[in-house]
Amino acid sequence: MIATIFKKELKDTLRDRRTLMTMIIIPIFIFPVIMTVFLKVSEGFAEDVAKKTVNIGIVVTPENMNFAKTIENLPKILGKKKVYVYHDSATVQKHIQENRLQFGVFVPADFAKNSIENKTSKFKVFYNATEMGMKDRAEAFLNTFEEMEKAKRYKALKVDPASLSPIAFDYRNVASDKETVGKLIGGFLPYLFIVFGFVGCMYPAIDLFTGEKERGTLETLLTTPVSRLQILLGKMGVVVLSGVMAATFTLLGIFLSIEVFQIVKDPKLLEIIHQILTVKFILLMYLLLIPLIVFFAGVMIPITVYAKSFKEAQSIITPLNMLMILPAMVGFFPGIELNAITACIPVVNVVLATKELIAGTLDIGLLLLSFGVMTSLALLAILFSYKRFDRESNLVS
Amino acid sequence: MIEVKNLRKEFELSKQQRKELATDAKIAVAVDDVSFNCEAGRIFSLLGPNGAGKTTIMRMLSTLFKPTSGSITIGGIDAIANPQEARKKIGFLTGSTGLYARLTPNEIIEYYANLYGVSKADFTERKNRLYDLLDMNQFQNKRIGKLSTGMKQKVSICRTMIHDPEIVIFDEPTSGLDVITAENIIKLIRDCKDQGKTVIFSSHIMSEVDLLCDDLAIVHQGKIVHQGTMENFRSEMQTRNLTAEFIKIINENKTA
Repeated sequence: MIATIFKKELKDTLRDRRTLMTMIIIPIFIFPVIMTVFLKVSEGFAEDVAKKTVNIGIVVTPENMNFAKTIENLPKILGKKKVYVYHDSATVQKHIQENRLQFGVFVPADFAKNSIENKTSKFKVFYNATEMGMKDRAEAFLNTFEEMEKAKRYKALKVDPASLSPIAFDYRNVASDKETVGKLIGGFLPYLFIVFGFVGCMYPAIDLFTGEKERGTLETLLTTPVSRLQILLGKMGVVVLSGVMAATFTLLGIFLSIEVFQIVKDPKLLEIIHQILTVKFILLMYLLLIPLIVFFAGVMIPITVYAKSFKEAQSIITPLNMLMILPAMVGFFPGIELNAITACIPVVNVVLATKELIAGTLDIGLLLLSFGVMTSLALLAILFSYKRFDRESNLVS
Repeated sequence: MIEVKNLRKEFELSKQQRKELATDAKIAVAVDDVSFNCEAGRIFSLLGPNGAGKTTIMRMLSTLFKPTSGSITIGGIDAIANPQEARKKIGFLTGSTGLYARLTPNEIIEYYANLYGVSKADFTERKNRLYDLLDMNQFQNKRIGKLSTGMKQKVSICRTMIHDPEIVIFDEPTSGLDVITAENIIKLIRDCKDQGKTVIFSSHIMSEVDLLCDDLAIVHQGKIVHQGTMENFRSEMQTRNLTAEFIKIINENKTA
């Protein structure tokens, strides 16, 4: 009987456009679309910044007119530039604000004298922080100039630059590349899974419980010789499957982004991603994900059973969505590790365990503890849903 | 046959409900000491104004609600102790019955046949017979959402009868329907009687009751205020017509 109800509800659900959107279309396309747009925009922006001719305002005194010429003659590899000479810094600042200059340099009057005396001169550099990338361009020009000045001093002082560097540190990362990537960006994948897993459950849960009550079909269904537990499990099965499918389509979207849309250009990073996305990894992730989705369904169903209308159910579940997403964000913070305590916190344990799984550092004991906690909560959620579903006051409007 | 003895249903009142009803009582009695029998091959009608308790009685008979006290026997089965067995014998149809808009009549009928455990051979034979009888062959594969109210009502009838129930419960089956669509229901109730089924239907329309029923009970404020055969009701009438007599009985029991 559970299978009969499951099959019918699945057919009904798959014919619902809203569910199809949240279960298949959005999860499969959101990641490729966002990543492609993000990469195109950021690549385009970086290209624009690099290509742009930088107008540089130099505030000089008659003693150091040479500075402007030196900047003008800096290597062309640093990008196109035009140098304008000013005699007061107020006009330079005004022109930067008006976007006529990208940055300005105030050269102190004693710069030439300090150079001869091997002293430090304080240059003021004006820039507009809202014009992205221009501070970096300024630093590139000025650092090159500083290196040239240093070289002159080394020569004048007859000093070998190497003699001023007594130690050369060679930092070696003992973590594997997979572990480094896993710990740094591994929180992203479980976050997406949780968000889409939750949203994937949401519409079918509301449709199959509140919707059925609202449309007047539940009353008839409850007069059939099928127990309420069987009806609940048949419907819940479809809610869980929808959540798992949404998460699966998210994974498929990521796969498409990498393999078809080729958003990852770095071959080394691509190799690491291939190392992470193994069959074993996916199976272990589903081991954590399925009880989590059952838990989500179990939390949503009592609400959808209680709610009298689609709108009411939606207005209660939407804030709950935020409540589930916040712990899912824990994976973005470095330093929070899976341990005996975090393994007992629902949602957080799945995020951290998946992160460890990606990094290849997952402790099997903690995996089982997380799985056990989520499975127990899922069973409690089913029991609670059943208690609610069995209450006659919740069944008919 | 349906046997109902000393049926009582109480509902707990929430704070909000107590406020709305301006009462301190923690419970509301929807049905109080109701007893009646519905015989096979006869049509029994529960008549009463809106809010009298008809739907609560019907929901207890169809095992949707559990009575607070009393007993219900459906075709010899104790419906309170064994609701799932009792449901096998019941066909339930209400005026507010909805259907799954994204499914077709064929899919809905097959779904309910499976839920009632109807064998494939019986399903095919009954489906063909009901489709011919109700003239449903033309729209059997159209989605419910695209059907007219009359077509939907035919699907509801077919859904109610696909397991050939021994007892048929109709809760205000014609409410909200136009005369032509309501005619399908009237015909169905008559057919059920002719087939020897036990039929109970609730209504607040006296003319409908007059047209169909053999036995009636008038319910008011959760209690039965009149019970007997339709024949006796007509012969003992003290007013000009049935509606006037129904109003008279209700008014006499208003303060009770």
